[in-house]
Amino acid sequence: MQQYIIRRLIGAVFVIFLTGTFIFFMLRLLPGDPAAASLGLDAGSISPEALEQRNAKLGLDKALHTQYFNWLWDTVRLDLGRPFSKEGVTVWYEIGRSLPYSIELSVLILIVGFSVAIPIGLLSAIFQDRWVDYVLRTLAILALAAPVFWTAAIATLAVLQWELFTIDVIAQPHFWEDPGAALTWYLIPMLAGGFAGTAATMRLLRSQMLEVLRQDYVRTARAKGLRESMVIMRHALRNALVPVLTVMGVTLATIIGSQVILENMFNIPGIGNKIISAFFGRDYPVVQAVVLLIAVFVVVTNFVVDILYGIIDPRIRFS
Amino acid sequence: MSRTVDQVAAPIEEPTAWSRVGGGARWLGNFIRRKPLGSVGLFIVVLFCVLAILADVIGRHDPDEIFESPNPDYKANPTTLELARDPGIGSPVLVDQFLEPSGKHWFGTDKFGRDIYSQVIHGSRLSLIVGLGASVIAVVGGLVIGMLSAYYSGAVDLFIQRLIDMLQAIPFLILVFAFTQITEASVTNMVIWLGVAGFAITTRLIRSAVLGVRESEFVTAARVVGASDLRIMIRHVLPNVGAVLIIAFSIGIGAYILAEASLSFLGAGAQGVPSWGKMVQAGRASLDLHPWLTVFAGAAITLIVLGFNLLGDALRDVLDPRLRGV
Repeated sequence: MQQYIIRRLIGAVFVIFLTGTFIFFMLRLLPGDPAAASLGLDAGSISPEALEQRNAKLGLDKALHTQYFNWLWDTVRLDLGRPFSKEGVTVWYEIGRSLPYSIELSVLILIVGFSVAIPIGLLSAIFQDRWVDYVLRTLAILALAAPVFWTAAIATLAVLQWELFTIDVIAQPHFWEDPGAALTWYLIPMLAGGFAGTAATMRLLRSQMLEVLRQDYVRTARAKGLRESMVIMRHALRNALVPVLTVMGVTLATIIGSQVILENMFNIPGIGNKIISAFFGRDYPVVQAVVLLIAVFVVVTNFVVDILYGIIDPRIRFS
Repeated sequence: MSRTVDQVAAPIEEPTAWSRVGGGARWLGNFIRRKPLGSVGLFIVVLFCVLAILADVIGRHDPDEIFESPNPDYKANPTTLELARDPGIGSPVLVDQFLEPSGKHWFGTDKFGRDIYSQVIHGSRLSLIVGLGASVIAVVGGLVIGMLSAYYSGAVDLFIQRLIDMLQAIPFLILVFAFTQITEASVTNMVIWLGVAGFAITTRLIRSAVLGVRESEFVTAARVVGASDLRIMIRHVLPNVGAVLIIAFSIGIGAYILAEASLSFLGAGAQGVPSWGKMVQAGRASLDLHPWLTVFAGAAITLIVLGFNLLGDALRDVLDPRLRGV
């Protein structure tokens, strides 16, 4: 077990290193001049001297390998540098400002997603091939097919049409500052994101439940006279949830993907919004930092899930 | 597939072209009977293929045509005051902006006076090309890498596995977005990058399938008689992972179409062609007043992705039920 954890840990660190290296060199392939872009100008409309000066200031005048090793050394020391597009702040400061918004939205999406997916998956498996199952499965298939920006747009349309509430996308309150305003702001993105994130989980849970319900231990539980609710909740659901947990890393990556769109739509200044504007503005340090952060998050989740897997299900052998 | 004893015992005939067609039709009939949802998917996919091929006929109008109508208030030489009151008064024709759905414009018109119905129909071309093209690239790439990775286990395999972990550590949308920023925003580049970003999943699928086949006795037997690695891979391994290839091909298409729509929505899509994602985005500015553009384009995306997902699910169940939940 210990050996397994160490081996997985080395693998995880290596993957994070690869991701960082990949995004570093990929950014250098992008067309466009980051120095000019950081001044908000085209490369043509700026004097060569000024451009040179700017490049020197941003450290872009050095050879590529020097830049790379500088970046690597800084990153190892957890120094993410300074954004190209803004004076006087660090990338950490920028992330510190936008991350809370993204975490708020992710948590809401996860809560909505799981509180929809688990009952639906459960009901769908219990009533297999009855109309409940068909209706719920159709819903899940639709949720998987509908683009999140469309469901969010339709929801917005409904809110506007029936004047349900006002969506304020300017104030940008945090939950702890103004819960009411924050909720109306986050409501549509969290429902749309949760709906989209639910489908895969629901389908996985349903197929796992169907498998588990056929197992001998479920029959044993029924045979010894347990209530059906007990059989489902204690014996079946707990086992069926294990595979749902193992794909948690993928689920989170999907949610972060849809968050990029939702933050863009509802003017949420989170990291999803940040990465798109940083890409368009060729703000290398910010892109590198955000991609690295997301990768660390996904890799750590996968790592924790793998370790937890063995604790939840002792039958799993680590090899 | 339930066969009667007679059928099994029937003498083996050389397959002729005609009997192959008959076999295909029988297989299709079986598929429709046993997989009603998959058949719905097949129907939707075929429908969109027809729409894409016959878009110029079915679309009724050119998607780029700007519709105009005569200005009832037209005045040849308006005074400054009149111009201030109605800036359009000096022009003899007005653009048919934001018309409601009607007999002439089935889905209405957009901000530039273009026919939305025609744009939606023509948009199916981009979605189909992107979905199918990216999936072909992802499967071919995944096949080569997955086979190498599984066949030459050890250091190569380990490294490729970590590379795939890396691709999966970055959310798919962000990964494709990053890739598409490198090159100019054309349809070809879009297809290539979506396919490259899709390598991760197809490689995983194909690698595990090849690992299973590699341990089988006929591969060992082939090695014993001295077949080369290349020959074993092409003659013995490849035919046995065919089902997985079809599955890997079909289950990804919907995701690529969604990703393309999302990229277009974010403003990083292919330029110069009607795109559903771009249309949803364009319609968002005046969603409450003119919902037509957003509603119809989004519905088209949902429908085509639904079709490919249903078909892919059914194909997977028929070809290899063990891959359920992939």
